[in-house]
Amino acid sequence: MSKIVVTGVGIITPLGNTLRQNREALKDGLCALSSIEIFDSRYATLLPFGEIKTTNQNFKDQLNVSEPGVTRTTLLALHAFEQAITDSGLSAEEIQSFDTGFISGTTVGGMCISDELYHDANHNKVGSAYLNSYDLGSVSIYIQKRYGIQGITDTFNTACSSSANALMYGARLIQNGFAKRVIAGGVDSLAKFTINGFNSLNILSSAPCRPFDAERSGLNLGEGSAFLVLEKEEEVKGKKIYAELSGWANTNDAFHPSSISDNGEGPYLAMKKALEVAGLQPNQIDFINTHGTGTENNDEKESIAMQRLFQTPPAFASTKSNIGHTLGAAGGIEAAFCLLNLIHQEVYPSLHFSHPIETTGLYPVPQYEKKTIHHVMSNSFGFGGNCSSLVFSKV
Amino acid sequence: MDKEAEKLKLKEHIIRYLNLLQVTPDDIKDDMPMFREGLGLDSIDSIELVVMLEREYGLKIENPKEGRRILTDVNSMMEFIEQGRAKQNEA
Amino acid sequence: MFYIHQTSCISHQPTFHEVDLENLNRSDNNQLLAVEPKYSNIPIGQLRRMGRALRMGVGTGMQLLEHNQTDGIIIGTANSGIEDSITFLNQILDYQEGRLTPTNFVQSTFNAIAGLLGMITKNTGYNATHVHRGLAFENVMLDAIMRLNENPEHSYLIGGVDEISVRNYRMEAMAGWYKTEEVSNLDLYQTETPGSLPGEGAAMFIVNHKKDEAIAKLRAIQLLNVLEPKAIAAQLSQFMQQHLSDTEPIDLFLSGENGDQRFFKYYAACEKVIGPNTTIARFKHLTGEFQTASALALWLGCHFLQTQSIPAHAVKYIGDRNGLNRVLVYNNYHGEQHSFMLLERGGGN
Repeated sequence: MSKIVVTGVGIITPLGNTLRQNREALKDGLCALSSIEIFDSRYATLLPFGEIKTTNQNFKDQLNVSEPGVTRTTLLALHAFEQAITDSGLSAEEIQSFDTGFISGTTVGGMCISDELYHDANHNKVGSAYLNSYDLGSVSIYIQKRYGIQGITDTFNTACSSSANALMYGARLIQNGFAKRVIAGGVDSLAKFTINGFNSLNILSSAPCRPFDAERSGLNLGEGSAFLVLEKEEEVKGKKIYAELSGWANTNDAFHPSSISDNGEGPYLAMKKALEVAGLQPNQIDFINTHGTGTENNDEKESIAMQRLFQTPPAFASTKSNIGHTLGAAGGIEAAFCLLNLIHQEVYPSLHFSHPIETTGLYPVPQYEKKTIHHVMSNSFGFGGNCSSLVFSKV
Repeated sequence: MDKEAEKLKLKEHIIRYLNLLQVTPDDIKDDMPMFREGLGLDSIDSIELVVMLEREYGLKIENPKEGRRILTDVNSMMEFIEQGRAKQNEA
Repeated sequence: MFYIHQTSCISHQPTFHEVDLENLNRSDNNQLLAVEPKYSNIPIGQLRRMGRALRMGVGTGMQLLEHNQTDGIIIGTANSGIEDSITFLNQILDYQEGRLTPTNFVQSTFNAIAGLLGMITKNTGYNATHVHRGLAFENVMLDAIMRLNENPEHSYLIGGVDEISVRNYRMEAMAGWYKTEEVSNLDLYQTETPGSLPGEGAAMFIVNHKKDEAIAKLRAIQLLNVLEPKAIAAQLSQFMQQHLSDTEPIDLFLSGENGDQRFFKYYAACEKVIGPNTTIARFKHLTGEFQTASALALWLGCHFLQTQSIPAHAVKYIGDRNGLNRVLVYNNYHGEQHSFMLLERGGGN
């Protein structure tokens, strides 16, 4: 099988609009969780969020978007997508070639504009400009049309593991000969829909989240997007290569619609099978970017699953302590962070941790440090029992 | 309203909020556990019941641990509703 | 490529228990709502929380999973439980973001059908949901093709599901996707106006690499984005050349024509490529138009191959081929997302 390598990265998170800015902020242990400033919600100042402080109008100006009906989710994706293809140096010809795929994961899609949707769905006699922009597919379809992408295009949804699965699907399209290169990742924007949804389940924390801490009290929602350009190693002569996407797996916990089973079966199987695909032993993983949402359920079960597989787990951290949980974008964003771990041979601190969970006793990375890293793992788990793990390796 | 009528009303609310197909108020015994072996409800249902108490009775449960006790069965929910009413009357 | 072994379908026609495609169910009020069965195969504790899409998806999925072990579940749906999504959204606005009931939110996550099927059958294998509007189910098939390439001994449940939601229908109608005049599904293809009739349904399949006793073989599939009719025709011609030899004619062209005059040109261009010897049939008067209608087209293709007959009301043109061995399905959604599927009778040759 051909090696699948990453030749371009585009990212936007509350920590910054470029990969470089994100690295600097992670190094400094910055927490970008704050009140919501640019959209209206009852919880705007009551709960912390990972909000990107750029208005939709500013994005439209920067990205040269003038047509109506383009949502914030699409704008964030467009930002990351443009950066990724530029970074990889893909030509228009390559982007429009039938063997270039485009796969995006999202959970909220165009439903980020809750108020317009409410009026269109219930009251309006004449629809708003967003009528065809609410579904999840709208985001990737906009980008597909804008760039004239002709290869396989898809939108993935496995809840909070959506973009991890988009990356996996992209790698498999290349390995199975359905594409030569794939731009894959994901996006989600903050929305009343998800804020109130997670709030109704009592899992939003009123303080910045504390992944793996005994006193953790829930997650914070964030927004962002990341896309990676995946290519076959033999096709990329002379290009800069970030890393190899060497392992992946998708499993189901098959236990409950919104919580993980007691022994973390789904997460355990995802990590185990990803290692098998990568051809690695557990002790070869040097660092894990965990799912680590900061909820009672996730962090304990993820810890149990890591202990089952690794006995003594490797160094690990949760970057959700910096930016919150970006849902469908999380797998993509955290994949980009894993690339930073590999390229710069360093790990970043997991924030707001003080005491380990009593039953598992695990300590995340406390501070920035240089570290020899050959292989990193990224975990993403979601509602519906969807569990995914990716492995990136140094080339 | 007498106590039996109140209980019937509460059971109807439970059935409606949880969309318990094929369950009638008579099927829900006053001391039948709501969770696990009894009605077989789960954590999402417990939140539905908390919302039901808030919307139908104007009563808030702030502490989730307290919620578990209140939502044990129809009797415990009735007790919570009566205590809540007494407090509302005092105020 | 894979073999299709068992199928299950819920649609506007009686397709779930005893299949009857001869006596057409008429559209009601310009819609083709699914005829839902009793769902004795869904645990009652789960059923009580489900909206239409979840019931149809889990109901058809369970019909197959009750008797088959699979290594994973792959579902395509553009909107999943959209009615639940909008019900939850309405709560958010109506209660000014106060305390809300979580069930609609949890049920409206787009991966709920695949997740619930995994949960109910304790299936910890591959579990994926594709939501790419009119190519959601096509990506499911592609995913299954790749999973089976990677794991030839595996077996998967694949399917497509979407529901007509009252409020989503409002929006799609405002966007001009449906007929504004009263039209019966029997007259769908005679109309000269834009828009189609909305439908809904679910179709599920057990697929693997086992040739024995297969109903049909999916030989190839192609997904295409925005293109002109001429380019679609060129792609079809190339698709046929690539996947068929001279001795393997197409017996049936199953067309996704949907009565929307704006898109007729695509189907006309493809019919030309197919040529005068192939029978042409249409299916949207049976199913209505929706994003994952191609899953029902695959189900119909399998059914026609199995029964070796096509109901007369579906036939647009009678060709001169004997027998029914190969079916080519062409569908497009909103003229922007196109797909070809090449299907062959039984285990193939």
